[in-house]
Amino acid sequence: MLPDDILIRTRTARTGMLIREVFEECLKARLQSLPFCDEEDKVVGRVTLKYIINRSIVPEYMAELAHVLGREMSAFEDMEARLKQVFDNSVEAYVQEPHAAIDSSTPLMKALAIMEHHDTSYLFVVDEGRYGGTLTIPGIAMWMSRLDKGR
Amino acid sequence: MQDSHVIFGWNPLWVSSFLFVITYAVIITERVNRAIVAIVGGCMMIALGVLNQEAAIRGIDFNTLGLLTGMMVIVAITRRCGVFQFIAIWSAKRVEARPWGILVMLSVVTAVFSALLDNVTTVLLIAPVTLLVTDELAVNPYPFLFTEILASNIGGSATLIGDPPNIMIGSAVHLSFNDFVLNLAPITPLILLLTLVVIYFIWGRGMEADAERRRHVMSLSEREAITDVPLLVKSMVVLALVLLAFVLAHPLGLEPATIAMMGAGLLLLLTNFGRDAEGQSKDVHRSFGEVEWVTIFFFIGLFVVVHGVEHAGLLELLARKILDMTGGEITITAMAILWVSAVASAVVDNIPFVATMIPLIKSMAPALGGAEQLMPLWWSLALGACLGGNGSLVGASANLIVAGMAERAGHPIKFLPFMLLAFPMMIGSIVIASVYLYLRFL
Repeated sequence: MLPDDILIRTRTARTGMLIREVFEECLKARLQSLPFCDEEDKVVGRVTLKYIINRSIVPEYMAELAHVLGREMSAFEDMEARLKQVFDNSVEAYVQEPHAAIDSSTPLMKALAIMEHHDTSYLFVVDEGRYGGTLTIPGIAMWMSRLDKGR
Repeated sequence: MQDSHVIFGWNPLWVSSFLFVITYAVIITERVNRAIVAIVGGCMMIALGVLNQEAAIRGIDFNTLGLLTGMMVIVAITRRCGVFQFIAIWSAKRVEARPWGILVMLSVVTAVFSALLDNVTTVLLIAPVTLLVTDELAVNPYPFLFTEILASNIGGSATLIGDPPNIMIGSAVHLSFNDFVLNLAPITPLILLLTLVVIYFIWGRGMEADAERRRHVMSLSEREAITDVPLLVKSMVVLALVLLAFVLAHPLGLEPATIAMMGAGLLLLLTNFGRDAEGQSKDVHRSFGEVEWVTIFFFIGLFVVVHGVEHAGLLELLARKILDMTGGEITITAMAILWVSAVASAVVDNIPFVATMIPLIKSMAPALGGAEQLMPLWWSLALGACLGGNGSLVGASANLIVAGMAERAGHPIKFLPFMLLAFPMMIGSIVIASVYLYLRFL
């Protein structure tokens, strides 16, 4: 069973939500990702800041040729304008496959093992399809720190 | 037929024909991964008793599989050093970043790479460079990508290792690398040249980019593409040795699969020399992981399916029908194979088509005066199957790879507009091939 105060609770992303709101929610909670839920509140995907930023600014072909890019390129010039436009986009176009998830009864050690297995620093906590919060390495570290202080 | 014991005493010809048609029909629908379909089809040939396991294994052309796998390993390792992207960017800068010059250079580079590597790898390397350069120049990437698709299939037709149909034909008929170079390579520069002329009149004349944008392209640093100089040296040495061995294969008494596998083994040895056991394990795992196993297993299943219908006598029956229609006339038969292969390859995967045609053509040998007389038919099949891939977006895997990359970059290549232009151009290339085959071989 995960300790009550270890999870970071956030809003979920859903159809119609703007990228601006995703950014605000992620920055407020200091998270990189939010679960994406359908109309029935079930977690069906995720949106991540990394994917939104890369997809908006760095096309696939540019990443492929990262080493050869010059310092002065037209693509770099309108970067800020492109970024600003992204904030008004709806989140649906940026939804990825669901992230690894656990339920709230999962022992912390197993949760850490699952994180390691998936090479990730966070897991969504989902009970019967509904989002309950996010377990992160910084969140676990803060919880451990609180344990240490209360010793 | 001693290897056939079909269940319930059913007729092997009917059972194998049914399995063959079902397998090919499901492959064409693309609803199920083609490797799964081919493997299931092959296993059904054995399970229903058309073939026993020994006969099925005899039907698998391990020379084709060895050549494909060996070259895939060599290319997978070589591409990591960035040499192919270096050449692509270098060639774009040689023409001072003029749009039409870049289109010509990248198309020629694509054709040459496709002759030496597989087409999918080639376009995976060239398309990102194209998208980056056209983005910088603020020109439409469509003409560039369109021409590169055509160039990859044209270039691939020039050599034994350029396109899977050539690998299959070469292996089945014991044609060497030199045979392909001497007999098919001479026509490909002409087809590419005429393709570029047509592209020039459609798009090339209007291509312009301002000086500032061209300066940006000139600022691309091709040297930075080379990420591993020692790997570059090792890869180039091995690639050169492999090509040399292909040229000298006959006097050396080596089969293409042996050469490709020796090259792969040597490159793996050189790149892992001095590494600890864990490092070697990781690197070898990564290199083998980049082999297109879907294609390899697709081939394995397909060879068994085709061997099943061949074994049951269907292909011999079809060959007799074709010869009846062409009157046993070699010129008409060669032209029929060329044109049917081209049109079929434009709409369906050319690998299963060629896999079926090889035993079918072989069985024509007695009626046409022996195996030697079949040579024009093999060249017709190779040119038809490879060039036919240009007829539509689904004609070759490389076409779809380019379309996918273009779409993700916001420049979709639609099926119908592509076909409306590509199909007539493919027909034009087949007309040229017809004249060439007639003058050279018939």
